[in-house]
Amino acid sequence: MGVDPDRISNWLVAFVVRPFAIAVFFVFLALLWTFPLQHVIAYPFVFLFFGAIMCSAWFGGYTAGSMAVVLSSIVVTFFFVPPFYSMSIAREFRSYVAAFALCAMAIAMVSSSRRHSETAVKVARDQLEIRVQERTAELQRSNHEIAERERQLRLLTEAIPQQIWQADAGGRVQYCNGNLVEYMGINPNELRGDVLFTFLHPEDAAPFFQSWEEARRVNGKFEVQARVRGVNDAYRWFLIRSNPQFAESGEVLCWYGVYIDVEDQRRAQQELLVAQDDLARLSRTLSMAEMAASIAHELNQPLTALVADAHACRRWLNVEPANMERAVASSERIVRESTRASEVVSRIRSLFSKSAYVREATDINHLIEDLARLLRDEALRHEVSIKLRLSRDVPFIMVDPVQIRQVILNLATNGMEAMEKTVGIRELEISSEILRAREVVVTVRDHGVGLAEQTMSKMFNPFFSTKLEGTGMGLAICRSIIEAHDGRIWADASDCGAAFHFSLGVNT
Amino acid sequence: MNSEPAPDTQNQTAFIVEDDPSICEALCDLIDSAGMSTQHYSSAEAFLDAWTPDMAGCLVLDVRLPGMSGIELQGILTEAGLSFPIIMMTAHGDVPMVRKAMKAGAVEFLTKPFQDDELLQALEQAFSRDRALRTAKTLENSILGRVGTLTPRERQVMELVTTGITNKEIADSLDLSLVTVKLYRGQVMGKMQANSLADLVKMSERIKAP
Repeated sequence: MGVDPDRISNWLVAFVVRPFAIAVFFVFLALLWTFPLQHVIAYPFVFLFFGAIMCSAWFGGYTAGSMAVVLSSIVVTFFFVPPFYSMSIAREFRSYVAAFALCAMAIAMVSSSRRHSETAVKVARDQLEIRVQERTAELQRSNHEIAERERQLRLLTEAIPQQIWQADAGGRVQYCNGNLVEYMGINPNELRGDVLFTFLHPEDAAPFFQSWEEARRVNGKFEVQARVRGVNDAYRWFLIRSNPQFAESGEVLCWYGVYIDVEDQRRAQQELLVAQDDLARLSRTLSMAEMAASIAHELNQPLTALVADAHACRRWLNVEPANMERAVASSERIVRESTRASEVVSRIRSLFSKSAYVREATDINHLIEDLARLLRDEALRHEVSIKLRLSRDVPFIMVDPVQIRQVILNLATNGMEAMEKTVGIRELEISSEILRAREVVVTVRDHGVGLAEQTMSKMFNPFFSTKLEGTGMGLAICRSIIEAHDGRIWADASDCGAAFHFSLGVNT
Repeated sequence: MNSEPAPDTQNQTAFIVEDDPSICEALCDLIDSAGMSTQHYSSAEAFLDAWTPDMAGCLVLDVRLPGMSGIELQGILTEAGLSFPIIMMTAHGDVPMVRKAMKAGAVEFLTKPFQDDELLQALEQAFSRDRALRTAKTLENSILGRVGTLTPRERQVMELVTTGITNKEIADSLDLSLVTVKLYRGQVMGKMQANSLADLVKMSERIKAP
């Protein structure tokens, strides 16, 4: 195994040359001071050399301390132990020198080990210091990261084009984002607690609080549409949604909620409904007009021939002399054409009479419920609520469900239209009941304008209408349907609206 | 001008185009009772198939027809330059159709059902209009026939004469002598059977008119 000369010299310097130089330096220093001091103090060499050994051991380590002990012993023996200037020791001083050497060795050991532990402590302390610094830097970094993340999150909640709020477990609002504050135009701190919800439209507040309390009771999500007052005191429709945030233990920590502006959507929906309604009305009147035109044409043709024939006949009779042959031919055609015209009339009549006779066991209540669902949008558009009061005792009756549905639909639509200008209760009530176990009576009651005396007498007649764009056929058709079912239809009016009833026999 | 052949006024017919046979029959009978002759067709196509240039009279046309409509037939006749007076029969309320037919030059509208007077008066009116149109057409044809006998040079001279310039100016513009121009002019007057310059100008106007 080859030995590196550099390592040998390093080893020599570290373990031989340096300790030796330190030992020589301190022992020499002690020696120099001892000479002048020995005239002042008896045996000054004792503490001076002990000091030199201590210093050597302290600065040079155990090796230097040992060397200093050896050197000191030699120097003391040589200079200060009689006989002076010789290495021999007088008998009475032998124990003294031995004690000196022993003490010196002890001092060297103590000093060097002290130094050693001191160094170890220092190293440990330095390492600790470094660790502390590292941890501090780490903490600062993560603190910074957390702050940055929070800032980003805050930016996000502020930048999202939606109104966001947060409430504590008890439902008290703690935070509202900038959009919400901006929409309502008040200080964010003022929105805390229940203040946020005081901006709801009075009509929507009750349903809102009901679902909000229900959501808090069951700790579930909730979703409500409500009008919210803005900074300009105008209301807009919002979809208010909230989800609970749960702790690990399962209890609600807080509630996160949003306000989503659905005003434009609702308006578009309303416009769509209106457009659909207009379209339906238009197509209804269009088909009426088309039918009228085709009926007119059908009747006009034989009438045209009839009139021409009648004129021809008269002319043949008026000439001198009368052309009887031609006149008879003309009058025969008159008869033929009259017959043709009456055929057209009866064909039209058969067109309007029911093509097929349908009777099936029908649950009137189910039919009404079904219809009420269908009418929901229409009711929304008219801002009318539909209330059903259905008797559970109503039996199945044999009717044409499509036609009866048509009747109820017609009465309900009329009722909603009658409430167009109603200020108070805007409610349409559809009820069913059984009368003397023989008749099922369905009533459609509105809180509209009611019925005038002269309207009452004529309203079931065809072509009678109080509406500007009405065809006057609705109630007439209703009556013909009900009468075809051997039932009755009638109406009564009060100060607060009108009620239309129809009854259908249980056995029909 | 007395030598013009008079258009045949006795031979005017009401051509009825109507798909409803009862109406057709009744109208024929009514018109017949007024002493006018009729012919009837069940569709516009049938009428066009039967059409000949010597047909005189007017059309009694139903607006609503199977296949080609009355308005379409009117359009085709106008495009072909056949100026038949037309009496349109419409159902009540065919306002847009009436407006369209009126623009295209129908004589009269009858809303079904109509009285005999309405129809017969409309026919009288249409026949007299047809006569006027035919007379004008015959005259035009005879003038055009006479113009056809002129030589190219004579036609040039006639054109210049009718613009009202003097013989001297004509001679200058055609690079002819005054005597030659006078000679041509005499020949033109003779061939065109014109009694005066005014007569010649009138004839020339007539054939120039659209």
